[in-house]
Amino acid sequence: MSKEYDREFETKFQETTRLGLEVVKESEEDRLMTLSVGPQHPGSGHFRFTIKVDGDYIVYCDPDPGYVHRGEEKMSEYRNFIQNIPHLERPVIHDSTNITYSYSLAVEELLGIEVPRRGQFIRAIASELNRQVYTLYWLAIYGIFLGHSTMFMWPAGDRELFIDLLTALSGARVTHAYNIPGGVRNDAPNGFKEKCLQYVKYFEKRLVEYEDIFYNNPLFRQRTENVGILTKEDAINLGVTGSVLRASGIPYDIRKVEPYDVYDEIDFKVQYMKTCDSFARAYVPFLDMRESCNIIKQLLDKMPDSGEVRLKLQSNPKGQPGESYKRVESGRGALGYYIVSDGSPKPYRVKISVGSFRNILALPHLLIGSKLGDMPSIYWALNYWPVEADR
Amino acid sequence: MASSIIKKTTTATGFIKAIESGSKHLLLKRFTLRFPEQKLKFVGDGYQFDPKRGVGIAGARGRHILFHEKCTGCQLCAITCEGIAEAIGMVKISEKWKQNKKGIMPQIDYGKCVFCGLCVDACPFYALFMTNDFELSSFTKEHLIYTPAQLAVKPKYDGSVDIKIDKRGAWHG
Repeated sequence: MSKEYDREFETKFQETTRLGLEVVKESEEDRLMTLSVGPQHPGSGHFRFTIKVDGDYIVYCDPDPGYVHRGEEKMSEYRNFIQNIPHLERPVIHDSTNITYSYSLAVEELLGIEVPRRGQFIRAIASELNRQVYTLYWLAIYGIFLGHSTMFMWPAGDRELFIDLLTALSGARVTHAYNIPGGVRNDAPNGFKEKCLQYVKYFEKRLVEYEDIFYNNPLFRQRTENVGILTKEDAINLGVTGSVLRASGIPYDIRKVEPYDVYDEIDFKVQYMKTCDSFARAYVPFLDMRESCNIIKQLLDKMPDSGEVRLKLQSNPKGQPGESYKRVESGRGALGYYIVSDGSPKPYRVKISVGSFRNILALPHLLIGSKLGDMPSIYWALNYWPVEADR
Repeated sequence: MASSIIKKTTTATGFIKAIESGSKHLLLKRFTLRFPEQKLKFVGDGYQFDPKRGVGIAGARGRHILFHEKCTGCQLCAITCEGIAEAIGMVKISEKWKQNKKGIMPQIDYGKCVFCGLCVDACPFYALFMTNDFELSSFTKEHLIYTPAQLAVKPKYDGSVDIKIDKRGAWHG
């Protein structure tokens, strides 16, 4: 590269001396161009990272999260256990049932209560439906940033099926506030089971079409295959989670490793791939969607037909002094809450451990050495949601 | 194993399959909901809560409805909202009700409300429920503040469109 550069410099030198201008030979450091991606750029969300490029290759990357930090953890200390729910789902409004699911599990341990069986089934169904909503939204964005408009339209439309089901269940389209310590807010309406089965069966047929138009599309394969290799050892050392970890060949799913609620009664496989590239990271969430359809069918089948869904608590419940940590598998990986209680109606400390923040640690590792054109396919395959990472 | 699920296709067959899969949709009905003309059907009359059983009744969470003959002015809804959106304020009312000695009732600012419905869960007298009405836009901030008299009006909502699925696909109709 340096010889080529010298030759280039030589021709430039001759040209400029002919024109009578002064020439200064630049150093290796000066040749690098610094680019700032985000936070206003639509291709990164509310997230900024600085990269330095040498020609077409990225040689330096510095992620700079924190643009949408709202202090969710501190806010939680000033509200009681029930009042915390609406603001805690704001970091991931597309996955709002899962982010309140682990909170409810942790608070239930502090309060020392157990949720009625039908309630456990309904909130597991709501969690699965919401994971589909999140994954479809992510797939739509991934499609449009790789220049595939159809893949933006289709998932954005099919997302409406699951939003319709969640509206019937909880009453709100996006911010459900449905999980509550002690169960779910209300019982499923009449005819929900049949409607859910019908939509899920239709969606399974659509997934075949997704594979034809997107995942088996040669253009998509060329842009993602053998791009951004994250080996098994690196994945473990960096501490990534969720689909990024499973794409590196490690079958790790919280629903299987630490089954919560009724997941130990459900028969499902952990989907993983061994190719470790961007394609695997894009394909594992798709396989998860397919497996999630199976889980929903089983949950609907095993759900008791009637019974209590919510434990009646006193209006301002007090937690036992102590601490609890519970985690669930969200759309972006393990999502855990660590809650400390001092016996008052408000939590003493709430720590949210999110999958997005762990996955972004892999970004500099993957970007350095790759081409600038591969940046969108690497960045979006990390399944990163900036607002959740900043909390 | 998961990695064996991916079919290895050549470039030509991959393109042909993608085009075939997309062109099928030219003949299908469009899925989009044409909103102002079509409106979605919701379950029931809106989210309600049964304080005796301590469980809600499924329904859409739109704007509230206040039953004046049941509200006692206990302020529990306003206390719940304090830590959430601070949208509910208690105001004096001119009419006299036997059960409401203080003469105060909730007034809701829909510029702040997040429609979580926890105020409905807090009401022990079946006085505050939610309705299907979600079209609340206005030109000024002041018009978003609903007084107890405005909240007592039952909204008319005539959404009748549902998602339909058959062999040709899914559409709103």
